Amino acid sequence: MIEVDHLRKVYPDGVEAVRGVSFTVEPGEVFALLGPNGAGKSTTIGMLTTTVMPTSGSARLAGHDVATDPLAARSVSSVVFQEPVVDRPLTGRRNLELHASLWQTPRPRIAELATAFGLEDMLDRPVESYSGGQRRRLEIARALLSEPQVLFLDEPTVGLDSRIRHELLDVIAGLRNRGNLTLLLTTHYLDEAEQLCDRVAIMHRGEIVALDTPGALRASLGDEIVELRVDGDGESVLTRLREHGVADATAFAVGSTVTVPLVDRGAATTLAEIEVLELPVTGVSTRRPTLDDVYLRLTGGRLAEAA
Amino acid sequence: MSVVSHAPTLVSPRKRRPSRTQSLRTLAGRRLALTARTPRELVVPLLTPVLFALVIAPALKTALHTSAAYESYVAIGTVGLLVPLNTFFLGLGVIVDRESGAQRELLAAPVPRGLLVLGNLVVALAVTGLQIATLVGFAVARRIHFAVHGPHVLWFLAAVVLLTVAMYGAAETLAARIPRQEEYIARIPAIAIAPWFLAGSLFAITAMPVGLTWIARFLPLTHALALMRYGLNGDSSGLHAIWRMGHADDMAALSLLVLAGSALLLIRVAIRVFSRSATA
Repeated sequence: MIEVDHLRKVYPDGVEAVRGVSFTVEPGEVFALLGPNGAGKSTTIGMLTTTVMPTSGSARLAGHDVATDPLAARSVSSVVFQEPVVDRPLTGRRNLELHASLWQTPRPRIAELATAFGLEDMLDRPVESYSGGQRRRLEIARALLSEPQVLFLDEPTVGLDSRIRHELLDVIAGLRNRGNLTLLLTTHYLDEAEQLCDRVAIMHRGEIVALDTPGALRASLGDEIVELRVDGDGESVLTRLREHGVADATAFAVGSTVTVPLVDRGAATTLAEIEVLELPVTGVSTRRPTLDDVYLRLTGGRLAEAA
Repeated sequence: MSVVSHAPTLVSPRKRRPSRTQSLRTLAGRRLALTARTPRELVVPLLTPVLFALVIAPALKTALHTSAAYESYVAIGTVGLLVPLNTFFLGLGVIVDRESGAQRELLAAPVPRGLLVLGNLVVALAVTGLQIATLVGFAVARRIHFAVHGPHVLWFLAAVVLLTVAMYGAAETLAARIPRQEEYIARIPAIAIAPWFLAGSLFAITAMPVGLTWIARFLPLTHALALMRYGLNGDSSGLHAIWRMGHADDMAALSLLVLAGSALLLIRVAIRVFSRSATA
């Protein structure tokens, strides 16, 4: 449904925002581009929604090339932007009607979606009177109005309070279960990616550094990890652990924290070996690996810090 | 209680493309709805021209001991101020759309991007028509006489339409290239008002130094005002000042050609600049 082949974008100021990314999203799949601000996620979505012109490479939506046949590509897709993109002086109903008219959608869908998104009581109010959450729901309802084959959600829950955020995640999960809509979302929230997506592409500095299911990405770090807090430089501790065969290439250090994935060994054995080495350890914990650990290992920075 | 009740049903997706006429109607309807909610865009451009036509022109007539014809001369001249002011104020809406409106949603719609400019232009023409009717209505109520000769009024209407297209093209181009409202507003006096003083609005262009007279001959606004006076007052002196030919209809046709060329050029530039600026 979405085919991206060596897509690259260099802005006029010389910034290379996307560096030749390639991926394919199957029909009905929910796919996430995960990464911090500046990773190239929004530029990638911009190219797929034909608002950013690729420098090189190609992308197709339902077989339509976004560069050579942009009208066809736009006719099969909808997008919910990161920032509010609505006509605030107009009513919610008028905003929906405009979308319906431009995408040739039957008007009865408006009532159906207004009900589905709890908008029916506010539909005839100007959008400038809506709360942030209400406006977001209106935008998602509007994007679904045209029954798109591909729906782009660019940071759909940014700026929403926790309750509305979780309700919207439920709605997106509901769309996922329908199976006939291909969803591509960008996020820097790990829980969104894990909860919603079939596959996740981790982006870093314009490149895809990992692409797999959330489970497979976590599994690359084994079933469990040991996290050491050390007094001083984590890198020197990591070096000693590797010299003594306690840690392998999957282990990594950031600042004074050393993370040791337990791929082929048990936690008890590893902890005993660490104790023998008399390292300057101030704290030890064991836990299951997360996508954050995967990101940290691949990029050297935590998502929350980078975002 | 959850505010999001359930995920909506999705029907089988299908490709669809609206016709260009329908898209244009939708886009113009949207712009009209937004303009109607922005009294600034309707009323503010009208204030200065009405003041000129109803207060300043009669006062000048008395002070300078000119004839009643001067009142109608200035009244028509103020149309040349109204059209640029109106179109440039409407151009502000493009920046508002880009900064805090639904422009990106429209850019993601399956319609050619040039239609976004043309949809705005349709509303600019409608608003201009309404404002000129108001201005002329006020002038007539103030007992300013226009000597309309049947079909000659078509010269006036054609000049108004083409001047509006040209000025709106310039406004859209400026709006596409200027990032913020304040910077855009700061440029309006130089682009929309300064030419009015050179274009034969308050006095004949031949009353100016020769160099300025020649500059005035190249301004689309000079041709528009000369055509408007010929159409609404039967006064061909403006056309003579430009072309220095014998037959008024020939001169009017030439000025109309100049105006049409300017309108076509400026609106094409506006569409091109908008389409390019809309895609990073």
